[in-house]
Amino acid sequence: MTQIADPTVVPLRDPTVFDRVSSGSRSLMRFMRTKPLGGSGLVIVVVFILVAVLASVIQRNDPDNIFETPNPDYKANPTVIELARDPDIGSPVLVAQFLEPGGEYWFGTDKFGRDIWAQVVHGARLSLIVGLGASVIAVVGGLIIGMISAYYAGVVDLLIQRIVDMLQAIPFLVLVLVFTQITERSVLNVVLWLGIAGLAITTRLIRSAVLQVRESEFVLAARVVGASDLRIMIRHVLPNCVAVLIIAFSIGIGAYILAEASISFLGAGPQGIPSWGQMVQAGRGSLDLHPWQTVFAGGAIMLIVLGFNLLGDALRDVLDPRLRGA
Amino acid sequence: MQAYIIRRIIGAVFVVFLVGTFSFFAIRVLPGDFATASLGLDAGSANAETIAQRKADLGLDLPIGEQYANWLWDTIRLDFGTSFLTQNSVWYEIGRSLPYSIELGVLIMIVGFTVAIPVGLISAIFQDKPLDYGLRGIAIMALAAPVFWTAAIASLVVLQWDLFLIDVIGQPHLWEDPGRAITWYLIPMFAGGFAGTATTMRLLRSQMLEVLRQDYVRTARAKGLRESVVIMRHALRNALLPVLTVMGVTIATIIGSQVILENMFNIPGIGNKVLTSLFARDNPVFQSVVLIIAVFTVLTNLVVDIMYGVIDPRIRLS
Repeated sequence: MTQIADPTVVPLRDPTVFDRVSSGSRSLMRFMRTKPLGGSGLVIVVVFILVAVLASVIQRNDPDNIFETPNPDYKANPTVIELARDPDIGSPVLVAQFLEPGGEYWFGTDKFGRDIWAQVVHGARLSLIVGLGASVIAVVGGLIIGMISAYYAGVVDLLIQRIVDMLQAIPFLVLVLVFTQITERSVLNVVLWLGIAGLAITTRLIRSAVLQVRESEFVLAARVVGASDLRIMIRHVLPNCVAVLIIAFSIGIGAYILAEASISFLGAGPQGIPSWGQMVQAGRGSLDLHPWQTVFAGGAIMLIVLGFNLLGDALRDVLDPRLRGA
Repeated sequence: MQAYIIRRIIGAVFVVFLVGTFSFFAIRVLPGDFATASLGLDAGSANAETIAQRKADLGLDLPIGEQYANWLWDTIRLDFGTSFLTQNSVWYEIGRSLPYSIELGVLIMIVGFTVAIPVGLISAIFQDKPLDYGLRGIAIMALAAPVFWTAAIASLVVLQWDLFLIDVIGQPHLWEDPGRAITWYLIPMFAGGFAGTATTMRLLRSQMLEVLRQDYVRTARAKGLRESVVIMRHALRNALLPVLTVMGVTIATIIGSQVILENMFNIPGIGNKVLTSLFARDNPVFQSVVLIIAVFTVLTNLVVDIMYGVIDPRIRLS
């Protein structure tokens, strides 16, 4: 007797969904295998994202809390002479400043007796917000301007190109310093200005990609059948620029993180949030004896930028080998 | 060729004009101005009248259009005005700080290129060997490390092992007292060179790999030339051209890191001037130093483009 499949029975695993998931994970595995450097970059980035999301869970201590240790020399009622010799002798506890890494404080404590590990963990939030946010703004803005510039050649293109030249003639750091001073230095404003400062590079990159696509025959064909400019841009040009967009997005992130760290280091970064750049600066005051704050905060900057750069390089090689070395 | 050069020069002048205009308006758009800041430190003593008087003295009370016209006319005549902060002429300030920046910049470039070129070459020759992976790994790290952190770690190493004393009394130039000046420049030049090297090294490596697969390299090998001649004369020369094209970008990057390094090591150069004039709202100095930096990068790009046109006829004809 042949069994007839009952159409009401829902299969345990919907094969189509399962295939899609497994092909996603399979291509991820292939990426990790063929691009070990890019794979390790991905791992670094994922770890930092987890750290940022779980900062409050893994912080161990409140980053703003000032810790105290018992004073070994404490004396209840010191004489004036003893007080002159050691001004702290009258207080039972001291600020736990400059503790070495290990034990309760994994990365030690800073000048004000705060836990460096907790500060580093919370600093990941700012770096990720800045890097990803600014890159999104730069790519979206660069896409709009770059498409207009490439599609409407002529005076508009020339003017946009000269403005891009102008922005590139000023060192990126100076540009960012000027922009971020215009408004209050909240995190959101800093992200916005970093993205705007990055427009020059993304515009140039996307413009040249659009120029290439515009010359292709399918765009000509679309024009022949009477498609409007807007339709050609959205239906024909844009999908063919996706690879360049992803590349522009991923290779910019590290640069924005470095720029934010630099302005924070110079004391002009976003206010009211722990920042690695500002921690490197704070630690420099006692670098020779207590280098840990500088070492760990700067190490975190290097590691996160390294992760994004490795991932970006690998994505670029996979998506568009012609841009290698660009 | 002449038409090409003229077209490029006109473009370059226009870009410099745009940068000047940008920095003119940028420093005025920022909240606060020098008159208020210099008087406002002690809020009680400054009233609206003295601030207005001070603004009038500095020419900050004029309508923005008039200020711009004045600035444009003065700048065309190369009159940069007087610093609000020091009361010296801006030319004097630049004359004093530019040599420090040029010294440091040249040292950074020397370090950068003497490392990048051999390393890029070696990395390409030993492609996918452990040496190549190691060198590329270092380059990727150098690209990721913030320059201020590299410099801080280098200072830490110098301090920990007492390698040398940094003696900067009198802020000596290299040509005045090379022995003392070099102790001052040593850390920033290596930190800056380290950061500036990575891009050049990676670019040179990928170019070398491409060039080494070209027919003319195979021809050179086939006719029995020694490998060193093939690499140095046939491959490296061609691989260096693209490195030359990004010279403008490389220099802009180096100037950017100089802003930080000069601030860290108290080198009174142009980079330091950018920061102090920006934070003090010292308009004449800020406008002028940004303009000078822009002239420098634009000029580099121009020279590179023209040289490229001379070397490679395909470019000037397109």
